[in-house]
Amino acid sequence: MEETAIVKAEGLRKTFTLSEKQRKIEKTSQKLKVAVDGLSFSAYRGEIYGLLGPNGAGKTTTLRILSTLIRPDAGDAFVGGCSVLKEGEKVRDKIGFMTSELKLEGFFTPSYLFDFFGAMHGVDKAMLAERKEELFARFGIDRFAEVKVSDLSTGMLQKVSLVVAIVHDPEVVIFDEPTNGLDVLTAKVVTDFLLELKAMGKSILLSTHIFSLVEKLCDRVGIIIDGRMAAEGTLEELCEGKSIEDKFFEIYEGIKGETV
Amino acid sequence: MKLKALIQKEFRRFFGDPKLIITLILPGVLIYLIYSLMGGLIWDRPQTHDYNVLVLGESAAVEALFETTFGEELTLTHTDDKDAALEEVKQGNVTALISFSEDFDNAVASYDPSSGLPAPQVEIFYRSADDTSSAFYTAATSLLSAYEGSISNAFDVNLGDAQYDFSSTSEVIMSVLGGLLPFLVVTLIFSSCMSITLESVAGEKERGTLATILVTSVRRSDIALGKVIPLSCIAAIGALSSFLGIALSMPQLMGMELGGVFVEYAFGDYLLLLGLIVSIVPLIVSAMTVISTYAKSVKEASSYSGVIMIVVMVLSLVSTFVSGIGDWVCCIPVLGTVVAIQRILEDGAALVMGLISIAVNLAFTALFIFLTAKMLSSERIMFGK
Repeated sequence: MEETAIVKAEGLRKTFTLSEKQRKIEKTSQKLKVAVDGLSFSAYRGEIYGLLGPNGAGKTTTLRILSTLIRPDAGDAFVGGCSVLKEGEKVRDKIGFMTSELKLEGFFTPSYLFDFFGAMHGVDKAMLAERKEELFARFGIDRFAEVKVSDLSTGMLQKVSLVVAIVHDPEVVIFDEPTNGLDVLTAKVVTDFLLELKAMGKSILLSTHIFSLVEKLCDRVGIIIDGRMAAEGTLEELCEGKSIEDKFFEIYEGIKGETV
Repeated sequence: MKLKALIQKEFRRFFGDPKLIITLILPGVLIYLIYSLMGGLIWDRPQTHDYNVLVLGESAAVEALFETTFGEELTLTHTDDKDAALEEVKQGNVTALISFSEDFDNAVASYDPSSGLPAPQVEIFYRSADDTSSAFYTAATSLLSAYEGSISNAFDVNLGDAQYDFSSTSEVIMSVLGGLLPFLVVTLIFSSCMSITLESVAGEKERGTLATILVTSVRRSDIALGKVIPLSCIAAIGALSSFLGIALSMPQLMGMELGGVFVEYAFGDYLLLLGLIVSIVPLIVSAMTVISTYAKSVKEASSYSGVIMIVVMVLSLVSTFVSGIGDWVCCIPVLGTVVAIQRILEDGAALVMGLISIAVNLAFTALFIFLTAKMLSSERIMFGK
């Protein structure tokens, strides 16, 4: 593993203003919610880095900052040396971002959408055709290439979203909860592919709250609690012989001062 | 390449769906068919009737007036039995019964309104539910009113044989077109732009497909242009369809020949009209794109567009109700275009004003595209809950 940070977050802070309705739901009188609070970490080239944390810990917000969809209030992050604040377009060309929030137009076919998003990333036609053939065959999309996305099953739709996200062969693949909502077969296809991408030298950053996924995929883990980096390191360093689940709750209880 | 792909995507989305194409073209076709049909019914309906009228009493003057006016359509039959005659009218066997008071003509000639005595009377018994009877009643009362007026005649208006109205039929149509068409054009363009822009921009935002494009390296200004350019072309087709529907059916609706109207305008007038109409399409599309980008859902965008619609409608109607509008209005989008279109249609002389209006429309379009691009970069607008 080359010790070059391909993704580097430096003191990221992000707050959101809560509406009255949101304050009622969250049972708080605070108008500002701190989603990410001075978060710093580095993910290295060719590794799978996992952001592990409970719901609302700030994982998705962090990934959205890295993908330039939202801007941090303070701090900066760098992908392949490009600042998410100052070089948004360059950053977006270096990443493939997968999240359930990003949807594909149901009217179009996987084949058309692959070409369209290829064009959005400026991929040349010959390269695009080659990647389409390879990726569609790899994920079994080729038989559904001309079927409207709205007519695809959830699993197939996830696979199409995956190949569309990496149409431009990005250096860094960012996945927000990669196996959420997937059936066991599709989830395996996705996790196998992540390992395959790693073998190809790609860097992968994923967020999850599933311990088994971390153990199976991640080289290094960052545990986020309340928007802060609670612990970071390789699985071996972090777990000290314990399971990641036990270690996580140990850290969680240490910070929150309460037993889960 | 990226902008081209964005534009192609919008066209593909639209033209790949036959339902959307039909909803675009159909209004124009329907307008043409309905207006033409209405025109046909109004102007081609046979006006001949066969009036079989009973007369109780006598008036040589009135009967002569009726016979002259109605000609062979009218058959007058004298009767003495009022009850039997009324029964005939009730049964629908005759068109109407006219009852003159005794010695009607002489009584009319010698009647002095200042005497305080009751005036001689004509009574017409008829059936309003019967078209022929009703038509006769209307025509007869109008003739009698005119006759009554002529007896105490002080002066006449336009009763000679000369031609008093020097307007040609084409000029009449041009006047109507000038007053009505700009408003209709703006209305049709607006409705055409509204449906497709709301669906394409607010719809994509609501469905989360716009965010997928935002994660790519495409420039936000390209995304804005990639919406406004194709949507303007599509909206222009819809607006053109509706415009042609109105323009082609208007002469028929007014019972006049089509060819006579169009020769009244010079080729340059057509070019300027086309330029004005074409320039207002991207203006409205880009304005709708701004509110669709701002809105969180199609529903919210629809409510915002209601406000814009009122503004656009008011601007397009102001010139119809306010006289003496100066040339400076060409600096106001929509209003300037409407006034320029009106001037071209009415007297065909609005070159400078028309060109300035086009430039103003395009300048505002550029401003709205810039605003949309800014909004696409705004986290609060694009991802705010």
